[in-house]
Amino acid sequence: MSSYLITVATLIAIYAIVVCGLNVIVGFAGQISLGHAAFFGIGAYASAILTTKAALSFWTALPLVILVSALIGLLLGLPSLRVKDDFLAITTIGINFIVEAVFLYIPFFGGALGIGGIPQVFFFGMKMRGTAYFILCLLFLLIVLFVCWWFTKSWGGLACFALREEEEAASSMGISPIRFKLLAFVLGTAIAGLGGALYAHYMRFISATDFSFPLSITFLGMIVLGGMGTIWGPVLGAFLLGILPELFRPLVNYRILFYTVILLLMIRFQPGGLLGEHSIARKVFSFRLLRART
Amino acid sequence: MMRPLLETTDLSKHFGGLKALNKVNMKIYREEILGLLGPNGAGKTVCFNLISGVYKPTSGAIEFENTRTEGLPPYRVAAAGIGRTFQIVKPFGNLSVLENVLVARGISRYGSFVKIWRGWKTGRERKAAMNVLERVGLADLADRKASLLPLGNLRRLEIARALIVGRKLLLLDESFSGLRHEETARLEALIRNIREGGVTILLIEHNMRVAMNLCDRIVVLDHGKTIAEGDPRSIQQNERVIEAYLGRKGGAVAA
Repeated sequence: MSSYLITVATLIAIYAIVVCGLNVIVGFAGQISLGHAAFFGIGAYASAILTTKAALSFWTALPLVILVSALIGLLLGLPSLRVKDDFLAITTIGINFIVEAVFLYIPFFGGALGIGGIPQVFFFGMKMRGTAYFILCLLFLLIVLFVCWWFTKSWGGLACFALREEEEAASSMGISPIRFKLLAFVLGTAIAGLGGALYAHYMRFISATDFSFPLSITFLGMIVLGGMGTIWGPVLGAFLLGILPELFRPLVNYRILFYTVILLLMIRFQPGGLLGEHSIARKVFSFRLLRART
Repeated sequence: MMRPLLETTDLSKHFGGLKALNKVNMKIYREEILGLLGPNGAGKTVCFNLISGVYKPTSGAIEFENTRTEGLPPYRVAAAGIGRTFQIVKPFGNLSVLENVLVARGISRYGSFVKIWRGWKTGRERKAAMNVLERVGLADLADRKASLLPLGNLRRLEIARALIVGRKLLLLDESFSGLRHEETARLEALIRNIREGGVTILLIEHNMRVAMNLCDRIVVLDHGKTIAEGDPRSIQQNERVIEAYLGRKGGAVAA
């Protein structure tokens, strides 16, 4: 494969990981978040600092990175999740801007220059580059998908579904709204942190603008397109929104127009996403299954 | 005398200047069916919301099994063994009927950080949930999406969920409204059956025939105050109750 394709594929795999995390928060627990790029950035910065300033290896830093992302998620989720819907959307937008500003204006985080010289990842003495790094990202994506799948089968996941559907009824059944919203939020931010670490060691240079608000919108767009609350939806969404800009590169001036048209078509014809309920993909698939059975 | 399962002492809830509930003293004894009656706006649902923890009382106390429960959040009241239904049904619309019931079955896990990671899609859980669905007569619809059910079935689904949560006390908020005659009869039988299983029941009811038939004892509220208490027969003949529902005889204009 050409290195160009590998680059696009690796970034799509990383975005798919991050978007799986967002799906836990938005799709499973029904809590809107428009600041997911902030946690992606927190993971990237945590890993960059731990491997450059503290001179840890990628692998020793990784558990710490996930822990830091989860803890900051807990800290920021605790006050934010007390508000709902539109207010939560605005609060999470605020989180995104604040985190970006912290990276940009505090010298410790490299300021406007960002952080460079992030070491490459070694795996049993082998330098992970190109295809190898892509495969590494795919493996992490599989682990994340497994965690998400497990979550949907666990009592904690069921509690989140109940909260998403009807909060008052859920709390009359022993479900603490704040506890389970936080659980989903922390799980989502920890996964975003993992994605951030993979991003930092792939790009090897990061700056605050890599994690700004428009990226959060893109993440949300990927979920909406792929199918909110499904397991594979985020992956499909990340793939499509990752590949489309490359396909439409000659039409760069019209890219936003295309996005808008796609978004409007989705809202009109496939409001549940491409893999969501009542979607064409599902109907075709179940139709085939039916025919295969008879 | 026997200690009550639940007792409210001077329970009050004010919304600004409106005294929705004003110093209500109520006792619910073990394994009885207590009816809570009163005209619209009497404070029945407010009383339910105070007991189940949706509202915090302005003043007064609620004691359940010798523990004070007023001001506890709903999920802790539920964990204590008090289940409730909602007057306006609140199904988990996108989940199946079976999954709706399974959410309630999770009540013994939601408090433990270890147990919430275990799976809920086990044969044992499904069987237990199906048993409850059979009791309320929804077993055929187990895999149907809850939002597709008509109101009568949604009321039964509410009862199924509350039944699992309410191991000790069951609060039923107008579960009979909108039901057809034969459905009413079946639900009455179910409620008696639940009580025979050792569960205490407090129900709000507008249908007089049902309330008189089913309840062991009745408390009547009007304008946030208790105006009468006693067995169905004495309530039927109580002057103040008749007055609250129908207005005063003759001298109403003069007063």
